[in-house]
Amino acid sequence: MNRWLDRGITLLLLALLGWAGWSMLHWLLLGADWSVVTTNLPLYAVGSFPADQRWRPLLWMAALITLTLLTLVGPKHGWLRRWLPLFWIVMAPLGLWFLAGGLGLLPVGTRSWGGLTLTLLLTGGSGALALPLGILLALGRRSDLPVLRWSSAAYIELMRAVPLIAVLFFGQLLIPLFLPPGLEINRVLRALVAFALFAAAYIAEDVRGGLQAIPPTQREAAAVLGLSPRQSLQLVVLPQALRVALPSLTNQAVGLLQNTSLMAILGLVELLGISRSLLANPAFIGRYLEVYLWLAAVYWLACTAMALLARHLEVQLDPARSAS
Amino acid sequence: MRQRRLLVQVGVAAVLIGLLALLVNNLAVNLIRTGLGLGFGWLGRPAGFALAETALPYAPSDSYLWALTIGWLNSLKVIAAGLVLATVLGVAAGAARSSNNRLLRSLAGGYVALIRQVPLLLQLLFWYFVAFLGLPSVPIGGLIRLSNQGIQLLGLNLSVEFCAVLVGLTVFTGASIAEIVRGGINAVPRGQWEAFRSLGLGEGLGLRRIVLPQALPAILPALTSQYLNLAKNSTLAIAVGYADLYAVSDTTITQTGRAIEGFLLLLLSFLLLNLLISGGMAAFNRAVLGRLNRSR
Repeated sequence: MNRWLDRGITLLLLALLGWAGWSMLHWLLLGADWSVVTTNLPLYAVGSFPADQRWRPLLWMAALITLTLLTLVGPKHGWLRRWLPLFWIVMAPLGLWFLAGGLGLLPVGTRSWGGLTLTLLLTGGSGALALPLGILLALGRRSDLPVLRWSSAAYIELMRAVPLIAVLFFGQLLIPLFLPPGLEINRVLRALVAFALFAAAYIAEDVRGGLQAIPPTQREAAAVLGLSPRQSLQLVVLPQALRVALPSLTNQAVGLLQNTSLMAILGLVELLGISRSLLANPAFIGRYLEVYLWLAAVYWLACTAMALLARHLEVQLDPARSAS
Repeated sequence: MRQRRLLVQVGVAAVLIGLLALLVNNLAVNLIRTGLGLGFGWLGRPAGFALAETALPYAPSDSYLWALTIGWLNSLKVIAAGLVLATVLGVAAGAARSSNNRLLRSLAGGYVALIRQVPLLLQLLFWYFVAFLGLPSVPIGGLIRLSNQGIQLLGLNLSVEFCAVLVGLTVFTGASIAEIVRGGINAVPRGQWEAFRSLGLGEGLGLRRIVLPQALPAILPALTSQYLNLAKNSTLAIAVGYADLYAVSDTTITQTGRAIEGFLLLLLSFLLLNLLISGGMAAFNRAVLGRLNRSR
């Protein structure tokens, strides 16, 4: 009886899969027109960056891909291995500076930044801001000083209660209101700050989970060895806590990359935003499926690459492995 | 030592208050400059915009407050339906991942792997523009009628926007719930499976009566945070034009320029929503734990 049910389910699933596969094939061969993707590849990559300056975002992305591959291969040379973390940290600020017109290059306003470049810059930049802020908030929430504990907890809980789109919208709207009249920061930077403020609250909770997993004996052992509280935190507790928190931090990072797509609603032309403006073009009207499949593939690849990198890092940091 | 602790706290408080004062001062300067001021009197003024979907009677001449309430009800509608459907889908997919049928198992695995690596907003746009607006007009058996104008289900009339948001949220959250359910099921000792099998119970019955009840304590806390995520994610409905709380707030703020008051109201509404969800789940959690303890 049970075996027949099993076979029935298999047959039903096969029929469904066959039907889906057949209609997909039919559409691919007869209905699909990929010109909306193929003719606009530069737009997807760098947005409306001036054509003669496109090499700058492309160079930055090439460097990013190289760095990813290098990390995944795992260099044998000691010096390269030691410098890799530093390269990762400077990547986003370097990109912002390089695109804005560092090194005496032609200044390009953030208005013409877009596509995958902007998506990656937003992810990297806000991640680099949010991680230290999140760690500070987590430490604050576990502090035995009530004022510090309450203010960190209040910040974390408030941020986690609001939807991201509201934070981003009000970041665009309110940040100028809270700044002194003469001072203005541009839209991309505002988005980056709002993202970082939001992500820090979630990162703080992940780091707090990691901190809770470290037994108090570790701190006591450090104290016995004569380490000051700060040294024990910096050298003993935090490194272990971050390693424990790494899987959930990875999820946050992937979430951050996916959530940059929300900026499309607020009019930034990152990967999804540029597609929305392309779909509004009469030449490509109605080509939704092609564009969405293409975008899904790009996001899927970027997210998977990030997850792979984090998995690699986990293996690298595994104490059982480094001890042998 | 105690003095130092006090000193540090006073220092932190002073910096925080100073920062807050600076921000508020800047805000006041900017508000005076734009001539807006703060206040909630505008809530009683007529909203002047139409809403496509209203649970209670609403006309553009009604107040902003009433428009926001309608938006709140629309949010509640899609969130409540989404919670139920996502739970069903998630539990089914999570259970399918530990099924004996290899095809079913890998299909469920593929679903989770694909959905979790693609942004929700992109998925929502797909459901709206491709799946629902591309629907041909087909009646199915007289009681159900599909078309790109809306879906009629046993006399229930659902708009395309509502359906797109609901399906998008369900499919996205279902994938996360599936992972949680799988983790919970894996946490139940294998001996329990062997025990019910040796008692002659079928797989489905054993899963429902033996394994899932024991997996619940591990599942519920993570499930609560997924429910809260679903509620927060429902604000993406604005991208497909569904008039939820956030969309109505957005229009209201654009019309009145009352960004700060609007933000405060939105914050309050979401705190209330979160309280509803986490309070309900906490009560459920207590009930489950109580039953489990009694049965031991």
